[in-house]
Amino acid sequence: MERYLTENKILKNSNRKKVIDKITFFLFFFIASLCASVIVITVGVILVKGLTPFFKTYETSNGLVKPSFINFLFGFNWTSHGAFYLLINTLYAVILSLVLSIPISILTALFITRIAPKGIKEIFKSGIEVLSSIPSIIFGLFGQMVICPMVNNLSSLFNYQTMGGASLLSGIIVLAIMSIPTITVVSITSIEAVDKKYIEGSIAMGATQSETNFKVVLTGASSGIVSGIILGVGRALGEATAISLVIGNSLSGPTFNLFDTSSTLTTIMMLGLTEATGLEYDIIFSLGIYLMIIIVITNFSLNYVKNRIANPYKKPLFIIKARKNLVFYIKTKLKDRKNESN
Amino acid sequence: MKAINFNFFKNKNDFNRSTITPIRRVKDITRNLLTFLFSLLTLGLLVYIVVYICMSGAKYLTWNYISSDYNEKSYTVKSDSSFNINNEDLRIFNFKDNSKDVYKSEKWGVSFKNIKSNEGYYVVSINEVCSNSYFNELIDFNGDVFNSYKESYVYYLYGLDNEGNELECNKKDLSSFVTTLDKCVSIDSLSIRTFGGGIKGSLISTLYLILITIVIALPIGIGGAIYLSMFSKANIFNKILRSLIDMTSAIPSIIFGFLGILIFIPFINNVAGSSGSSILAGSLTLVVMLIPTIVKTTEESIIALPKGYMDSSLALGASKTETIFKIILPNAFPGIITSIILSIGRIIGESAALIFVMGTSTNDNVLLNQSATTLSTHIWMLLNSSEVPNYGAACAIGIIILIIVFILSLLAKIFQYQYYKKIKRV
Repeated sequence: MERYLTENKILKNSNRKKVIDKITFFLFFFIASLCASVIVITVGVILVKGLTPFFKTYETSNGLVKPSFINFLFGFNWTSHGAFYLLINTLYAVILSLVLSIPISILTALFITRIAPKGIKEIFKSGIEVLSSIPSIIFGLFGQMVICPMVNNLSSLFNYQTMGGASLLSGIIVLAIMSIPTITVVSITSIEAVDKKYIEGSIAMGATQSETNFKVVLTGASSGIVSGIILGVGRALGEATAISLVIGNSLSGPTFNLFDTSSTLTTIMMLGLTEATGLEYDIIFSLGIYLMIIIVITNFSLNYVKNRIANPYKKPLFIIKARKNLVFYIKTKLKDRKNESN
Repeated sequence: MKAINFNFFKNKNDFNRSTITPIRRVKDITRNLLTFLFSLLTLGLLVYIVVYICMSGAKYLTWNYISSDYNEKSYTVKSDSSFNINNEDLRIFNFKDNSKDVYKSEKWGVSFKNIKSNEGYYVVSINEVCSNSYFNELIDFNGDVFNSYKESYVYYLYGLDNEGNELECNKKDLSSFVTTLDKCVSIDSLSIRTFGGGIKGSLISTLYLILITIVIALPIGIGGAIYLSMFSKANIFNKILRSLIDMTSAIPSIIFGFLGILIFIPFINNVAGSSGSSILAGSLTLVVMLIPTIVKTTEESIIALPKGYMDSSLALGASKTETIFKIILPNAFPGIITSIILSIGRIIGESAALIFVMGTSTNDNVLLNQSATTLSTHIWMLLNSSEVPNYGAACAIGIIILIIVFILSLLAKIFQYQYYKKIKRV
């Protein structure tokens, strides 16, 4: 009798526990879905808000204005809300800043992991890691205080007048300085992960230490380095405060002269902040869509490059596969037709 | 101890030197030299930035700067209408501060000093008011006796002299001000301002922001991490869930600023009755930004726990809920602390989103449903408020941010190191 009771108790207890487990599962499931839904909500809200200006008419000082979507996508003047030049400016600035920052950070990572003696290595490594946490506003402050006057002096050597140093070049330098620690830290991790066998094999084949470093270690670490570059590009593309302090915020473009004032997608967004309402304010959200699209495209393409480097024999992307299949299909069809006609 | 090899260019491995041609050797040396120079450039540049910010901000970083309000308060005081200093009894004033750069007015019992204000220019500050000074009998325009002269400066004086002539002084020159004051027999109006430009309001609002954000974000982040590490089976839905959370961290902060404007500001306006930007809206925006960071860090620390912990707990008859709350979470606690530290670092450094959601006007009486500036947005505000920005004050805030961020990143490293050491020992 007593045994039966305890069993019953245990069963009851375990049933209770099962119910509680179910409740906890759903609680955490709900929280996790909340975390994931954040991005969906963000993208959705900005898409809706960013597309509405093109279906509305605004009363401005020049009479009624209906912003055109085509002009927004391909226009070259922000006063008439053409944003294409901003895209070109942004990509130009980011690519030039990467040209500066990628070699510097890769070589720094190489020195820290492969060449530096142990004592110096630790100091450099922890130094870079701590410095990678400097917030961007500090870089903007430094840029306005030091880099802008420097660029101003440099431009006067070429007999060129800048707006007190606020120019594309200052923006590029600030972006480069900002992305250096990010790329370096990731590169260090990936260089450290290179298999020791490759390095020893290379040296056994008669290569010198530096040849090994450049040809074996860097090749082996390249996919990790690309993921560092992805992080650096992400930081540079989305950066707003630091670059808007130094780049000068021009309203038309595109600008290719390094000493001219320029503007990127994010700096125009910061400018729109001063507007209270109306078209100037609403169209800023449309730029948000533009920015997100660029970030998604660059991230996907860089990730594709990274995957190709990491495993070159992996199946190619579905789209490329589909294209190849289509080409093959058309070719065979054409052949069939030829055979038929013959 | 092994001697450190400082000769980076000597090749330890090529014992057979005859195989290396001179061209290869030159290439070798250039490569090594390049690597060395570039890494020196990187570290030198970054250290130079930190040192430069510290050097230019050090002069401004005083206790007065940290603890004073941003907005100046001004008072206007005058002497009683029947007051004439020549009719009063002779008073003897004992000044405590007798240093050289202090100008004393023996007639009124006040001493003045030139002080650089937080905005960076010199003002005539009130150094000392003797206990029996006539200044303690001045009244403000409500007729109350005014005696809070601490940490303030004078910028305008209007009084009458012996013959009834009007005397006026609004110079920042110390000696001319004191001579004018000594000529006066009564004061018709004296404008006094407290030192403004301090960052007390920004500091307090930064603390509030950190507190509220962490309190909201931590449960959500930990919950997400527990689901991903403990409950999620390998199916497509969970894969999508995970990649969505990963993608959130790739979105730039300015986009979250937009989200804050479009959703959180209207929401807080309805709930807390504020108008426009507020600290609460800012902290909700930051919660969204920090969720992926917290989820990632916490999940890593839960996964790093030995699998035996969970298995033995389940084998002893504990339910999964009990295992999570009594075994997993207490043991993953250092990981959670690390995620808090990382989030605090991000909150302090964040500027773009907060400029949109929290506004750029500094508030000295920090209220949660009103706009305020954090330390970072205070720098932004200083740099944008005038044609010639006050770089010294901005750098002083920069020093505070750098110190906090460096300490936090060191703490995070130490916690992580301790955590993984502890786990490995088990």
